[in-house]
Amino acid sequence: MANRAKVGGWLQGKTVRKGGVSSTNHTRPSTPQIQSTSSTVFGGGVKDASGRTSEYFSMDDQCPVCKSDRYLNPKLRLLVSSCYHKMCESCIDRLFTLGPAPCPICNKVLRKLAFTPQTFEDLGVEKEVAIRRRIAKEFNKRRDDFPDLRSYNDYLEEVEDITFNLIYEIDIAKTEARINAYRAENAALIELNVQREEAYAQALKEHEEAERREREMRAMELRREEEEEREEREKGRREIIDKLETSDKNAAKVVAKSRANALKRSSARSASTTVLQSNAKLLRSRAAQSTAIPDAPHVPLQDDWYAYEDKYDMRTGGYHDFMSEAVRKDREGIMRGGGYRVEEAWERALRSAVAALDLPPLSGLDPPAFSIDAEGDIVMASA
Amino acid sequence: MDAVEKANLERQKRWAKDQKVGEGAYAVVYRGREFATGRKVAIKKIKVGQFKDGLDMSAIREVKYLRELRHQNVIELLDVFSSKTNLNLVLEFLDSDLEMIIKDRSLVFLPADIKSWMAMTFRGLEFCHRNFILHRDLKPNNLLVASDGHLKIADFGLARDFADPGYKMTCQVITRWYRPPELLFGSRYYGSAVDIWSVGTIFAELMLRIPYLPGESDMDQLKTIFRALGTPTEEDWPGHTKLPDYIPVGQFPKTPLRDLFTAASADALNLLNKCLIYEPRKRISAKEALFHPYFTALPYPTHPSKLPKCTTHLSARALEEVDGNVEMNSTGPGVKANNSRLKRKLSSPDEDSKARLIARRLDFTKQTPHS
Repeated sequence: MANRAKVGGWLQGKTVRKGGVSSTNHTRPSTPQIQSTSSTVFGGGVKDASGRTSEYFSMDDQCPVCKSDRYLNPKLRLLVSSCYHKMCESCIDRLFTLGPAPCPICNKVLRKLAFTPQTFEDLGVEKEVAIRRRIAKEFNKRRDDFPDLRSYNDYLEEVEDITFNLIYEIDIAKTEARINAYRAENAALIELNVQREEAYAQALKEHEEAERREREMRAMELRREEEEEREEREKGRREIIDKLETSDKNAAKVVAKSRANALKRSSARSASTTVLQSNAKLLRSRAAQSTAIPDAPHVPLQDDWYAYEDKYDMRTGGYHDFMSEAVRKDREGIMRGGGYRVEEAWERALRSAVAALDLPPLSGLDPPAFSIDAEGDIVMASA
Repeated sequence: MDAVEKANLERQKRWAKDQKVGEGAYAVVYRGREFATGRKVAIKKIKVGQFKDGLDMSAIREVKYLRELRHQNVIELLDVFSSKTNLNLVLEFLDSDLEMIIKDRSLVFLPADIKSWMAMTFRGLEFCHRNFILHRDLKPNNLLVASDGHLKIADFGLARDFADPGYKMTCQVITRWYRPPELLFGSRYYGSAVDIWSVGTIFAELMLRIPYLPGESDMDQLKTIFRALGTPTEEDWPGHTKLPDYIPVGQFPKTPLRDLFTAASADALNLLNKCLIYEPRKRISAKEALFHPYFTALPYPTHPSKLPKCTTHLSARALEEVDGNVEMNSTGPGVKANNSRLKRKLSSPDEDSKARLIARRLDFTKQTPHS
């Protein structure tokens, strides 16, 4: 288990380093642009979190097949076969362009496209990382998928066993059969966990994005405030000069007074900025606020005020009356340009005509709604 | 004592004035309560005696239209009575307004909160428009918020009924930052679209947390609008060049709203865009807006009780409301002149000093050749 934990970093591709830890002084700290002499693009290899491959590169590189080195061929690029043997691009081109051929070192039949760039100096590591990644893709059960810690540990033990077998090539056929059996058994769970993983990655990305936006907004706000502050200071200075010029008061007094004013302003501002800084926290707390009262969906109109819409229909052709007359006379389109709508006038007239048509008449004893008292004040009757 | 006076006295007795919470040139606002129930109210005492031509226009307007409107998103006028020479309006008491909430930096708005406020604003406005009443002074300051989170449209001091072609209407309405371009161009015949523009700018302000189109003067307001939304062409807005006060203010390119409102959803921007269409007849109506997909899409609008609330309130708000009334008294030429006189009086010491400065300078220049 401990071993597994240690390689966890590699599995996520975090410890990829450029340049080897070779003891010689020829190793350069940073990889120069990879120069390829081959027309084939070699993909694969161990990728880091951002999906790039950092290729291992050393001044001591030598192709084990043709013995050519960086001195003879500055563009030398070594690639790794699926049997984890290195050879240079020109050897690969020479041996494998005509189709699958045996490896010059171990005689395993190789294909040209199965060569991958090298990431780690030690090919053993390279191999282990590749195998662990492959295993982790399918053996992706989590702690919550097991009833107790013991069964989870057993599962991890089994995964480690399979990995070990694959790395040291012990009982390959049997191990592969075990993997296949596992895959068949847990297909649904594997798929589910893959989805979970994706969702988690997505959520992480969104969270980061939100934080970035928040930072940006805060920076913008800060810039704006600084600008304001600068302007205010400038204004204050101008004011002092103006005052000194115009008033007969003691100069020192005038200056002291405006200084005090400026101080008051700046302290008020600093108070407001501290508030701003806690905004992010507040926002989060508001978002997590109690959902005791749920937000209801939008209802466009919430009153039941009756506008007599069913009592009239507007004529489609419009009306010939004094209202439209005024609009027609308006040759310049001033009414139109200002947003006047003759339809509204018609509608209002129609509605006024039909309003309250079916109300029963008043009994006759009610006082009028308004009356005017002796001083000319308006008095309202109780509603 | 006649019957009317008796009725008035009875009415007056129903309400208790508690404490003054604000004063403006035309009204004093008191916090009060109903004796019988203890319900909190705001009493707006209008100083009648001050005005030579009788009652102030905005008081008449306020009473006239609030008497007719009863809706959960419109402030309720509970009673009217007179005391001595004053007229008293008893209004529903509301703790805060949207402007305070926007300015309170300790509050965080979720997109669903904005949606909820917008829905309530549109509902209140739709009700006014359905009753053929234009509000003509919509701004965050006039959208009051009750303690249970419900938003109510208040201050009908500039309201009037519309759709009457025989009468010209004044174009000197709506606080400048929320004023639509047709009014800035001096149109005397307009419709409900003017209020929709205001709601659009309020919507933008809710998203930005600062006023969206803060022009410094009427001319600058047009420039600010065009800089934000592009100069309208004859195609965008047929007939606008014929409006009485039309002046070309320069060509500005259209910039997509997305550039400024980076975090807004596509639906929100679509609705904002429709509220800020230049051609008033094409602008979305309040009813259409309520059926816009922005409101039906997720997230659902926040339940009013969960909306962000101001922590500090009361006296500050009432003061602001009165100030708003005073500042926006520019309903007709008469009131406008009054307003400017008031302003001049306020700034007179400043002007004196300026005059002195000029005098001194002149002296100085005169003296130099002599010496």
